[in-house]
Amino acid sequence: MNYKPDEAALIAYLYGELDGDEQRKVEEYLQKNPAEKTRIEEWSFARTALSNLQDKEVIAPPIMLGEDEVSMPFWKESYFRMPLGIAASLVVFLLAAKLVGLSLSYSPGEVKIGFGEKEKPVQQVPVLTEQQVGEMIHSTVASNNEMLKSSWNEDRKALEKTIQKNLNSNSNKIDKLMQTASLASQEQVKSFVGQLQNDNLKLMKDYMQLSATGQKEYIENLLVDFSSYLQEQRKQDLQLFQARVNKVEKNTDLFKQETEQLLTSLISTTGTNNQRRN
Amino acid sequence: MNKTLPDVAMMHSDVLIVRAREGDKHAQGKLVQVWYKRIYNFSYKFFYDHDLAMEVSQKTFISMHRNIAYLQDTARFRSWLYTIAVNCCREELRKRKSNRSVSLNDLSPGEHEDSYQWETSGSRQENPERVLRQSELSDLLQACLMQLSEEQREVVIMKEYEGLKFREIAETLNVSENTVKSRMYYGLEALKRILERRKITQETIGYEL
Repeated sequence: MNYKPDEAALIAYLYGELDGDEQRKVEEYLQKNPAEKTRIEEWSFARTALSNLQDKEVIAPPIMLGEDEVSMPFWKESYFRMPLGIAASLVVFLLAAKLVGLSLSYSPGEVKIGFGEKEKPVQQVPVLTEQQVGEMIHSTVASNNEMLKSSWNEDRKALEKTIQKNLNSNSNKIDKLMQTASLASQEQVKSFVGQLQNDNLKLMKDYMQLSATGQKEYIENLLVDFSSYLQEQRKQDLQLFQARVNKVEKNTDLFKQETEQLLTSLISTTGTNNQRRN
Repeated sequence: MNKTLPDVAMMHSDVLIVRAREGDKHAQGKLVQVWYKRIYNFSYKFFYDHDLAMEVSQKTFISMHRNIAYLQDTARFRSWLYTIAVNCCREELRKRKSNRSVSLNDLSPGEHEDSYQWETSGSRQENPERVLRQSELSDLLQACLMQLSEEQREVVIMKEYEGLKFREIAETLNVSENTVKSRMYYGLEALKRILERRKITQETIGYEL
């Protein structure tokens, strides 16, 4: 049996798409040919590896499914639009020509297409020559210059006069002002100084008086305070002295009592001794 | 592969397909909801680029909406939808090749702040270390996939991740079943070598998980 499966059969076997009879034949062939079997196993491994490539998760975006193109009228088709447009504009052109009247004219260098009646050509006025225009310009410029010159001179003279006048009046005013200012200032200074002296005197006098009364009051208060302090001190000293004297008195009394007690005890002891001896 | 609610809904979407074919906008919207994840993941694995995957998904479903009325056999909806997706992917690939510009995001997808990872939702209960390892392994495997030729990559993704039969893949790509199997054969051979080169072994995968 010389059955040898071709590549298509091997692939179909790998994917289990062979019919039963052929499947068995290939299996027998692979058992006899370990090299081919190894190859099938290698493919199987490649398939296993590929199975690790997983699908990407994706969300279907909104796809606009418009109306069927069949329902579109034929005049909206792109290849109808342009000829229709041209035809429409030609109709409009011819209609306008019929209503208003078309005029075509051709002269060398120009073609004219117009609607309505032709305008009558305007009569041409004789044109001035270049020299005449130049002369006219020169004369007007010259007269204008003269006018400007005369008016400028007049203006200048008037301006000079007014300036001179103003200067004179201003200097006179300033002189008068200066004189009055110098006279007034001497008197004012004198009166001001005198007033200032008087004010100073008054101020000094008031100050001296005020300070004298203040000092007097202060000294009086001080003296009063001192005398009351002395009295108080004396009183306290007297009290202290009194207390000390009292204390001495007390001590003396106590000493007296103690001495008496001592004497009596001595006497009594001597008395008893004498009795015993007797 | 764990089946989620949309996966289950996808398996029972025959009624939806019939209604969508009759022009029911609501049913078409539902179909988008049910199939979006699959088409996005197919495109993502093909490009390894979130923005391109989003764009391809959007174009696929707009095309689905325009052409579903012409779908004759509702049983072939899956291969029909993947045909649209594959065509969109190829179109984007052509554009990219003609532009010859490289987006900065392509250099390290998922590492920048504005990456799609913020948009994706993950389970909070999962162990972060495990999630990180899984993410690293996914990046590594994705990089391996990117080393396959475009034709091989299409077939491998459709077979391994989308679970299409070889007959369906042949229908989708409009090639013979044998061509699909041949591409798969060379794809797996190439992957075997790439995994060896990157030292991804049984132990590595066991450790990673």
